[in-house]
Amino acid sequence: MKKRLCKERTGLVFFPAFDWAISPTHPEREERLLYTRDQLFEEGIMDLPQILQLEPRLAEIKDIARVHFCVPDIEFQATKAHLIAAGSAIAIADSLMKGEIKNGFALVRPPGHHAMRVVHGNRGFCNINNEAVMVEHLRKVYGIKRLAIIDTDVHHGDGTQDIYWHDPDVLFISFHQDGRTLFPGSGFMDELGGPLAFGTTLNIPLPPGTTDEGILFVLDKLVLPVLDIFQPELVINSAGQDNHYKDPLANMNFSTQGYATLNKKLAPDIAVLEGGYSIETALPYINMGIIMAMAGIDYSNLYEPDYYKYSFKEDSKRLKILETMVEQLFEVFNKREVIQANNREKAGAFYERQRHIFYDTDGINEKQLETVKVCPSCPGYITIDSQASHGRSKNSKIYCIVIPIQACSDCQEKAREKYEKKLMDNSGDFQYIYLQDRVADNYRQYDCRKQKEIVL
Amino acid sequence: MLIGIDIGGTSTDGVLLQEGKILSSAKCLTDETDLQRSIFTIIDELTQGVEKSNITRVALSTTLVTNILATGKGDKTALVLIPGPGLNLKNMQLFPHTFIIDGASDFRGRIIEPLNEEQVKKAGKLISDAGITKAAVVGKFSPRNSEHERRAKEILLKEYPKLEITVGFEISGQLNFLRRMATAYYTAMTQEKWAKFAVSIEKALRDRGINSPVSILKADGGTMPLSISLEHPCETVFSGPAASVMGAFALTMDEETSVVVDIGGTTTDLALILQGKPLYASKGAIIEGHYTSIRSFNMLSIALGGDSAVRLAGAQVTIGPDRVGLAACFGGPIATPTDAINFLEDGELGELHLSQEALEKIAAPLGISVKELAELIVNQFVDSVEENIKKMFKAWEEEPAYKVYEVVNKRSVQLDKVVGIGGAAKAFVPLISKRLGCRSLVHSYAQVANALGAAVARPTLSLILHADTQEKYYNLNFGGISGKIPSNFNLDSAKEMAKKHLEEIMAKRGLVQFANQSEFFLEEQFNTISGYSTTGKLFDIGIQIAPGVINEFREVRS
Ligand SMILES: [Zn+2]
Ligand SMILES: [Zn+2]
Repeated sequence: MKKRLCKERTGLVFFPAFDWAISPTHPEREERLLYTRDQLFEEGIMDLPQILQLEPRLAEIKDIARVHFCVPDIEFQATKAHLIAAGSAIAIADSLMKGEIKNGFALVRPPGHHAMRVVHGNRGFCNINNEAVMVEHLRKVYGIKRLAIIDTDVHHGDGTQDIYWHDPDVLFISFHQDGRTLFPGSGFMDELGGPLAFGTTLNIPLPPGTTDEGILFVLDKLVLPVLDIFQPELVINSAGQDNHYKDPLANMNFSTQGYATLNKKLAPDIAVLEGGYSIETALPYINMGIIMAMAGIDYSNLYEPDYYKYSFKEDSKRLKILETMVEQLFEVFNKREVIQANNREKAGAFYERQRHIFYDTDGINEKQLETVKVCPSCPGYITIDSQASHGRSKNSKIYCIVIPIQACSDCQEKAREKYEKKLMDNSGDFQYIYLQDRVADNYRQYDCRKQKEIVL
Repeated sequence: MLIGIDIGGTSTDGVLLQEGKILSSAKCLTDETDLQRSIFTIIDELTQGVEKSNITRVALSTTLVTNILATGKGDKTALVLIPGPGLNLKNMQLFPHTFIIDGASDFRGRIIEPLNEEQVKKAGKLISDAGITKAAVVGKFSPRNSEHERRAKEILLKEYPKLEITVGFEISGQLNFLRRMATAYYTAMTQEKWAKFAVSIEKALRDRGINSPVSILKADGGTMPLSISLEHPCETVFSGPAASVMGAFALTMDEETSVVVDIGGTTTDLALILQGKPLYASKGAIIEGHYTSIRSFNMLSIALGGDSAVRLAGAQVTIGPDRVGLAACFGGPIATPTDAINFLEDGELGELHLSQEALEKIAAPLGISVKELAELIVNQFVDSVEENIKKMFKAWEEEPAYKVYEVVNKRSVQLDKVVGIGGAAKAFVPLISKRLGCRSLVHSYAQVANALGAAVARPTLSLILHADTQEKYYNLNFGGISGKIPSNFNLDSAKEMAKKHLEEIMAKRGLVQFANQSEFFLEEQFNTISGYSTTGKLFDIGIQIAPGVINEFREVRS
């Protein structure tokens, strides 16, 4: 048990944010990770030579700007707690890329996978998408090109899906409780990504009550084979823990043993904590399980106090449903390149979609008009016209331009011109106009009333 | 008058102190096979012609327990574990004679699995059959609920009344099963030998007419009465380095940030005093490769000292890590950093020509002058110390934080000075501080700072009270103290209760005069919530008497 330096270590940032809550009795409150702390500390897991504990740190404002359009600005939407959660994910990524660790777990709060590209407020307890902030850091700083994010939270990872909807190089797979029975009410099988990134978003809506066996079936028969074909450089587990049989907000039957086995099989390079609100009966055990599985520590003796009262075998009807879904999605995934090429041919100069987004925590209604340049040589630049109503009095109207990291020089130029032009005429009566230039790593926000530009 | 003695690995040092001044000091080689003889060689020298009744305190730091463990001379000990769910201990390389028993409690102190009493009985038989007479019983979460540990002890004692049993919850209330396990195990292993030593020391002192209280220095820089040490022998590990740090502390007693550099014959020990407070190791003392729950100073030991052998390896000059003998200037066989200094200071320390000859043997093949070589050696020495000091600061700055406030207000400190301790400090420390851009302090007592530290260190005690108003209990991380609380128990009642317990423990130890020197260092409260309503509160209150010096010394020095 002697502490020694070895590259076979699993990195761990444990940041429970003991002084931060959405409100005193909200599920996302101070003691959410208190019993997890007690369990990790009592177990002495951080003393083991397989574990390297890393310090949490603040993300920079620019790290957030690489992903989000925050209204009215980043400082308003990202509290210090959010910056630390995102910064801790970055700390794991840096340590991994420097070769200090073989994999790592950002065991942090607040969570982030419901936070979309545009942020008018808090959705599903999230403001800032920790995984996306980390992914864009990995792409910008280390030149990583292909990544996969596997969202194992019980809720659909609609924020992450939104951010990578048009991105063919980031594979996003989410399995979650069927959106007809749970927030945020999305994540159906026909949500497969934008026309030019078709098939790199996959959703598996699980019937309520799905067990270890069912979830591991989806992993074995769909997630792992798809990863094998997609060949990402890094795999990220957006590791929500609310699939657990004791979670108060959802209705699934996943156990600590199931979570640990999932992580052993998936072998993510990085895991980032998402939801999970059974703070006493599930989280202390699942978090241990994820750490143990990632570090290659025997987890056969890890179980919840009431584990043996339940069965985690799948019922045959549910298994049939899962089989059908897995088959259909695998077929779509295998045809994705043909479909993408078809879409490119059929589309005009721009692809357009209109959306309505609801922010449950803050009660905001947002309307979006999104356009994507259909470009023969890159995924195309994106524009978003977004209007949000915050109840009776307050409304916001913004315009955003995204230059993706893979953008061709023509798209870069057109997008930058568009930004300049928009500042000049402001034809839509926008309050803020944004340019997110990931190629130049340059982020601009223009305040139309004050006629002031912030450049990051 | 105060007597302080530091029994180190190589030598034993002692000082006799009156009103803050050292009246006399003594030094002898430590006889590892008979520590008592080394101690009394020093005591007899110090107290020659001194009226014994004037001696008001004798304090010792000793490596005895460290030696017992390092040389495998501890008693054969069995380990009875009640781990419950978690790490699979069956497949881990733990200690010999380990028995794993079913049964578990959780972080709230709830019993989640009953104790398997049959397994305990079976283990007892195997322990007894193997002729083992010492055992440690340790359960996971026993600080939150000690029922399983108590019951297992009861069963073992009923069947085998001669078994001496140490229980985890009395050893440490810190949440860390692995550290509690190692600490309880080593306690059981060394308790009897330590008790023999303590009793014989006390008797020998009384025989000499010295009737003052006797204290033992702990790894945390505080003292405990000899009688209390019988239950906590492991607390004395690393009390030697702790004595040096407390010596440096006593010689500074300011609010500054200092690095303590103790340069010995073969090693240089580094410690940090941050704004007047010595820094503890975040993971506790490491004994025989195991983390323990023993609080100890954050020390970094470099294999580099005044007597380290200087050699030529290719075109590279190496210093240490070994020592061949004395420095050449004192008749030793090989050049050392001491010789480099001696040469540069014109024979200030020893025979100049001996240093010169030894250095010449290395300088000649390199084609440089002796002076250039001496400077190179000193530079390399200072480089290494500087690098390690920076490493220590960096490690401290990178300590994990668990609150937004802690991350946002990230600590970063300015080093004010380097405090030199030990023989070679005078020559090297000013050079080190120059490199680091700060002041240096090498006090005239620097050579006996370790014994001084032992002589003037005050007792320490650190308590953490954990209270759970929903489960209606509280416990202390100390001595297995626990009890019931009413449901209207609040933060103030928790603080009051912690303070009351501290005062009681100090009184029991005959140290009531120190009870008012306590301070709170931790105040945490969390709500326990069921659904969307609050069902109770959890409190964690920390109160301590931090390392410091006794009033008799503080008053005359400051
Ligand atoms: Zn969730
Ligand atoms: Zn393009």
